[in-house]
Amino acid sequence: MNSESTAHPTSVVVTGAGLAVPGIAGPADLLHRDRGGTPFDPETGLKGRELRHKDRATRLALRAVEPALRDAGLYGPNGPDLDGARAATVVSSNTGNYDSVCAYVDTAAQHTSRAISATGLPQTSTSAIAGWIAAGYGLRGPAVTLCNGATSGLDALHWGRNLIAAGRADTVVVTGVEPANEVVAELLGADPVDGAATIVLESAAHAAGRGARVRARWRGYDRGHDHAEVLRAAADPRAEPIGLWLSGAPRADRPHLPERARLTCLADRLGECGGALGVLQCAATVAYYDDGGDGLVLATARGTDASAAVAFLPPRAAARTAL
Amino acid sequence: MTWDIIGLGAVSSVGADARATYDALCAGRDGRAPVRVFDPAFYQARYAYEIDDRGPGGDRPLRATGWLLTAVEQALADAGLDDDLSDVPVLVGTTLREQRSVELWWSEGARLATDELHFGNALRRRFNARTSYTFANACAASLYALGMAADLICLGQADTVVVAGTDSIAESTFAAMDRAQTLVPDAARPFDRGHKGMVMGEGAVAVVLTRAGARRTGVAARLRAVGLNCDAGHPTAPDPAGVEAGIRDAHQRAGVRPGDIDLVMLHGTGTARNDETEAAVMSRLFTDAPGPLMTAVKSGVGHTLGGSGLLSLVTAVLSMRHGAVPPVIGLTDPIEQAAELRLVQGAAAPARIALAQVNAFGFGGINAVAVVEKA
Repeated sequence: MNSESTAHPTSVVVTGAGLAVPGIAGPADLLHRDRGGTPFDPETGLKGRELRHKDRATRLALRAVEPALRDAGLYGPNGPDLDGARAATVVSSNTGNYDSVCAYVDTAAQHTSRAISATGLPQTSTSAIAGWIAAGYGLRGPAVTLCNGATSGLDALHWGRNLIAAGRADTVVVTGVEPANEVVAELLGADPVDGAATIVLESAAHAAGRGARVRARWRGYDRGHDHAEVLRAAADPRAEPIGLWLSGAPRADRPHLPERARLTCLADRLGECGGALGVLQCAATVAYYDDGGDGLVLATARGTDASAAVAFLPPRAAARTAL
Repeated sequence: MTWDIIGLGAVSSVGADARATYDALCAGRDGRAPVRVFDPAFYQARYAYEIDDRGPGGDRPLRATGWLLTAVEQALADAGLDDDLSDVPVLVGTTLREQRSVELWWSEGARLATDELHFGNALRRRFNARTSYTFANACAASLYALGMAADLICLGQADTVVVAGTDSIAESTFAAMDRAQTLVPDAARPFDRGHKGMVMGEGAVAVVLTRAGARRTGVAARLRAVGLNCDAGHPTAPDPAGVEAGIRDAHQRAGVRPGDIDLVMLHGTGTARNDETEAAVMSRLFTDAPGPLMTAVKSGVGHTLGGSGLLSLVTAVLSMRHGAVPPVIGLTDPIEQAAELRLVQGAAAPARIALAQVNAFGFGGINAVAVVEKA
């Protein structure tokens, strides 16, 4: 992952995080319970005129985007306060629209297609989530949706970072979401998180230009078949000692990682996070650094086809180590 | 910066590979037939452009995955590459992923492994692919994947990338389209006054993209740029301002002007909303006489969803190579907004094409526009 940094030293930073996760008030709660604030409750939190005619995944996602933009200082009294033409949308979701897919087939079989909602067409594609976020907040840059299995959330962060590095956007709003419903429960045989997380990525120059507070710095991303190899590549000990390892699996082995590195598995508490995992891990990274944490944060996910890792550096890291 | 396209592959309702598909389109042969993939009794619409490979036992899961593997195999063979993709990223654009497989699991109890619902495991098994991405970017998906693949090469993260698109017809989408469309379309008739709406198609497409100049021979075409943007407006209706911004982004990145373009591969879905908006934007952008030739492949293969943009691009590349542009099949009476456009009608048009523009617009207002040049 270091091959690019010398040729294209685009520095990317995290400037905001927001959550819509049941029982959790904000990113700080991902690492420490009960930091105050009102926990998100889908029963009351998913109501509102602007959420009508949208599937559950989209409603959860929209509820995470606004706090993330506020956290980044990009949401003013009159709504989003950013250059929409230079702002991109990235979404990660594996199961976001399966409830609609199965419901439409059932409805048509029972009552013909006339019984399907006239406004139900968009959510036949998972891309509807990104479309609604872009429309809701005026993000007119690229809109990208990843449905890439267990690594999807980390992959989404990588592609958000690439949109900035390739000059397609200055600001990228990355959202990971997995809803809970009957179809998903039966498909996964597990309880999904039923929540969303949103991260704001910016070029370091853009963040500095508007005086934004940097919450974490992007160090790098790696992906491959061999989990141990991916961890080794991502956690280069020459850069920074590991302060926090956000593992995708509860029984994580620790190849090449020092025993003293703190280990947290978000799925232990939140349930199956699916495509939301990587974005939730990035929100936890923001909370860790906000709380004075130091060292490298390593976020990892392991699927059946590949493993992925993203490494972050503290906001205060010297410029020479922030790539 | 430019990129080289060095291999092409496609599987469609009219051809088992890219050349066969192109030849069928040039001959005016379409893949339209009554719906067979599921029982259409619950629907008003009765036609689609299917690949009828389900076998005697009815529909089966993972057909979109199978076509994807075939299209990638073809593109690699065409490029003269072996089929080990351990160091080559694979970017797959799709609208519906394997949602048809989810339907078969839900409705008929078909066996389904959840980790087959993105394409990574199948690509790993077949090609040892280490890095693959499934992008669900609606009907601009495969051109979005092409643009992001170009970014990977530009950023030094890869030298060669396989870009693909695949979709199989899902009943839920057919049902929701059936509900949403006012008229009942029995054929895809883009830009014709007789157009009644979108008719679904299916299939897969793949290209191999490399850093420019990586090889001296065997370059099919040169990619000049891909523009990517979002209308940030209506969930299903295209916005002329967003479409125009996407095209201008592509032209600016490619360093070309509208007058340089010889051929436009239109998105052309056959819905009144798309056709009127797209034709009006084209009429406004291309003002120099005589203007580029234009065609729309959905008239032959239906709306192949996520792969449709890349299939248009492959058709443009073959049009450059063989000196003929396939017609808009069934077009006899263009809509008012298209009156000034040079839509290819009746038969394939002999033409020397040096520079082509490819349009792809998806639900959610997601736009991707590619500019490709003759090698």
